[in-house]
Amino acid sequence: MRYALYLGCAIPIKYPGFEAATRLVCERVGIELVDLPFSCCPPPTSMKLVHYDSWLALAARNLCLAEEAGLDLLTLCSGCVNTLKEANHILKQSDSKRRKVNRILEDHKHQFNGTIKVTHILDVLYQDSVVERLLKERVRDVPLRIGCHYGCHYFRPPKIMYPQELSDAESYVPVSMDHLLSIIGVEPVEYSRKFLCCGSPLGANMDQDAGYEITRQKLGHIRDRNIQALSVVCPSCFEQFDMGQIVLGRKTKEKEKIPTFYLTQLIGLALGLSSKDVGLDVHRVKAKKLLESIEVA
Amino acid sequence: MTIKIWKHFPREDLYECYQCARCTGSCPAMEVAPAYGPRETILKCLNLGHDKVVEDEKVWLCCTCNVCEDRCPQKIPISDLLVALRNSAARRGNIPTRLSMALELLAKTGRSMIVHQLDEMRAHHGLSPLPAAPVEELRDILKKTGRDEVIEF
Ligand code: SF4
Ligand code: SF4
Repeated sequence: MRYALYLGCAIPIKYPGFEAATRLVCERVGIELVDLPFSCCPPPTSMKLVHYDSWLALAARNLCLAEEAGLDLLTLCSGCVNTLKEANHILKQSDSKRRKVNRILEDHKHQFNGTIKVTHILDVLYQDSVVERLLKERVRDVPLRIGCHYGCHYFRPPKIMYPQELSDAESYVPVSMDHLLSIIGVEPVEYSRKFLCCGSPLGANMDQDAGYEITRQKLGHIRDRNIQALSVVCPSCFEQFDMGQIVLGRKTKEKEKIPTFYLTQLIGLALGLSSKDVGLDVHRVKAKKLLESIEVA
Repeated sequence: MTIKIWKHFPREDLYECYQCARCTGSCPAMEVAPAYGPRETILKCLNLGHDKVVEDEKVWLCCTCNVCEDRCPQKIPISDLLVALRNSAARRGNIPTRLSMALELLAKTGRSMIVHQLDEMRAHHGLSPLPAAPVEELRDILKKTGRDEVIEF
């Protein structure tokens, strides 16, 4: 199994620990990753809102690099997967948009042909063959009560992100992360507003306090269910919960903070990797005590 | 310079809206900024015209979470409307400072993020340095898509 690894910006620059964990986990389960000279995706929360044509052209360039290598593109972030899946969809559907973008990209020897698929690390790990491998390679359980937060852009709009999963009401909410984590001994816990926003885009674009207020409300529902830790598949959601609890704590004086993990960090721990290997040492809300309580170091 | 919003969102769809507010009821931005809401945005487009909506900085409160569209009983493509409105707002100079700074960084470095001592940080996690993005190529693409006409740095 081989993919072009699309790192995006936030993971390699702000949270390289997630990248390290992902590379180690993929190696262990037999997924080969190829690095290509990608740029920013660009985000559905920034460039797309300001200049749609630029958003589409830059996204198309990233897709072209994977096409040229003949590889499907593996993303690690809800924002990246949203942009790249949607751009791939639009450019396949619309002859006029594809022509327009190709006229610009041909100056740089790229041409969008629509030959590859865009996927996300969660979906790649959730494939039957990989789950089998994980079950074989797993050396310990991570028995924590965990709340999964998928990140809006990972699965909405479902008609573009998961068209094959649409319900009669043309809606869809994912279960993949809950299921995947349960095979490493996690107890996935449901909570109110599970599928709603973490607050990140509002904080990043407009008003940080307002963004964190959304986070505070969401954390309230998470606490109500005695959830011990969160699992995310997006660096922006991660920052909102991890850094967010530090900032919010200055005002709310809440002492009990809830550690957040990036999915492949938890999988890595179950495969026997150390906290340092998967980059937990740089998290603002420390998971050390919690992991010690279940004898995972 | 200006963009035609109704090329990107079918104007007739504004009249399909029940004004039931199911969208606004699940909107995270509304929770923290009660004057904002997708229903309210549609109503303002109808009553005051979209010109008034794109002049208002509140249009930038939306998190692009897509819940509104997902829950709308009329399946109105609200996200397309909110993207088109903001593309139009940006062309009129209505763009939050934080956002224009992020886009400036993208044009200069090819990425949306920057930190000091990146190589050291990556080495701490056993990773090699991140190769530079092909900035010249990206700038040329941005120039040809017309980005420079909308925001200049
Ligand atoms: S949910 Fe749909 S129909 Fe109801 S107010 Fe919102 S846009 Fe209008
Ligand atoms: S996409 Fe924007 S308007 Fe719609 S529910 Fe989310 S924050 Fe509100």
